[in-house]
Amino acid sequence: MLVAPALVPTVAVLVAGLAAALAQSLGLVPLVGRPELSAQAYLDVRPDLLTATGLSLGIAAASSALAAGVGLLTALLVVRGAAGRRLLRFASAVPIPVPHLVGAASMGLLLSDSGLLARLVGDQGSWPALVHGPWPVAVVAAYAWKESAFVALVVAGALATRVASYEETAAVLGAGRWARFRFVTWPLVTPPLAAATAITFVYTLGSYEVAWLLGPVHPEPLPVLAQRLFTSPDLTARPQALAVAVVTAALALAATVATLAALRRTATWR
Amino acid sequence: MTGGRRAGGQPGGRAGAVLVRGSLLLWFLLPLVPLVLWAAAERWSAPAVLPQRWGTAGWSAAAEAGAAPAFARSLLLGAAVAAIATPAGALAARALAHGLVHRSRLVSALLLAPVALPPFAVVMGLNVLLLRARVPALVGVVAVLVVAALPYTTYVLRVAYAGYDTSYEEEARLLGATPRAVWWRVRLPLLAPALAGAAFLAFLVGWSDYIVTVLIGGGRLVTYPLLIASAASGVGNEAVVAVLSLTSLLPPLALLLLAGASGLRGRGGRGRPSPAAAAAPAREVVVR
Repeated sequence: MLVAPALVPTVAVLVAGLAAALAQSLGLVPLVGRPELSAQAYLDVRPDLLTATGLSLGIAAASSALAAGVGLLTALLVVRGAAGRRLLRFASAVPIPVPHLVGAASMGLLLSDSGLLARLVGDQGSWPALVHGPWPVAVVAAYAWKESAFVALVVAGALATRVASYEETAAVLGAGRWARFRFVTWPLVTPPLAAATAITFVYTLGSYEVAWLLGPVHPEPLPVLAQRLFTSPDLTARPQALAVAVVTAALALAATVATLAALRRTATWR
Repeated sequence: MTGGRRAGGQPGGRAGAVLVRGSLLLWFLLPLVPLVLWAAAERWSAPAVLPQRWGTAGWSAAAEAGAAPAFARSLLLGAAVAAIATPAGALAARALAHGLVHRSRLVSALLLAPVALPPFAVVMGLNVLLLRARVPALVGVVAVLVVAALPYTTYVLRVAYAGYDTSYEEEARLLGATPRAVWWRVRLPLLAPALAGAAFLAFLVGWSDYIVTVLIGGGRLVTYPLLIASAASGVGNEAVVAVLSLTSLLPPLALLLLAGASGLRGRGGRGRPSPAAAAAPAREVVVR
């Protein structure tokens, strides 16, 4: 079987990882004591889990919305043959090879209260707490920066081959600028835009380092909460960490399934 | 509603367009400016907009923190992930593109599934199994990162195989080439750009990973991202963070330049777009 070298490790890691996570969260693999099936870990961690879920969903929604908007605008400008498009194409490719951790570190140096922007503005006393503050501004900025480049690339790639000729045809047939956008560009753009935004959302929901480096200290986003419980010296916190992991995985899967169902319904998706 | 006229036609529209373009350039480039400034700063205390003294203190501090061995470890990790995930992805992509797989929809969905699952969740579950089976940490890290890279390699190469015209191979066989010669002189050159793109993505997965290495390696496997994270989470390390961050961009950039150079050389000879051209948008599903 040619697919075996790829399929076997993938299925092994995913099934073993998720099954073991579920088993540990349900108290079946305790570090100390007897295995016992219970939902105690979920109940114990519930208050933190609820606020963390809200925060993580908020971060993911804000980041992917911002990334989708900026990415779409960039893609449209790059594909349209207009002045400065080569420079914009280069600039929008810059975040692509930058690791998320590096993007986060850099965003910290830009947005913290001793960061570059605060120094440029001059009044550090009134600079809001963007890093580790109550609102996860720096987290959203770091994700949106990195993912807007990703969205722009995917959308521009999907548009590049077709949009010019279709738009010319529409223009020849008398379509105005708005009509061309509404009936030519937008239908071509929606499937890749939706797919890229959904990938961004799911990734942002479950990614650790940006949220840890720049995020609010309390309440914590889901991956940060899970990691703190996982590395806690209190051994009874382990099942709670796994409960948070299971909930995060379930949310990510639900978002993926919802996107696939929505994409399948759009007629242009092949 | 002036028919087919371009946006730049009206003077008012032009000023707006310049503003939009300028903001977008700022959005993409500004976040990296502090890195460049800090990497060259010897002293840069709070209210000053530019460093008070320039110098290489950050570079020597980074070297002292163990930058060189961590850099080498991360290079090897990225190379190992690429070396395993690219051929495995190529085999799967070929089988899927040529319809050699039963239940191909299910198989493709499973191969893409790692993108939809948070790595930390899978690894936290897996950890106890790896420990009980006494799997060495390095093996565990490579295995998980290969699985994380496989969706990208499989996808990029599948698009390439879908656009791959087997009549070139048939023609070569007709002209008397052996199967070996066809493999080396027809198939491999035609797929080379896509293979390079897939390997680049897989390398990036290993090169930029943080959480998988931390969870499985338990902090003993010190890769470059671990060094960056420990510097960035402390206070007063801005210059070290900047130096480590900037240097972490060198391997991906070098690989991109290398791929660009060989791509240009290859393009001159051929009269048709490479299969990888079709994969270009997919190539950058990138770098998570």
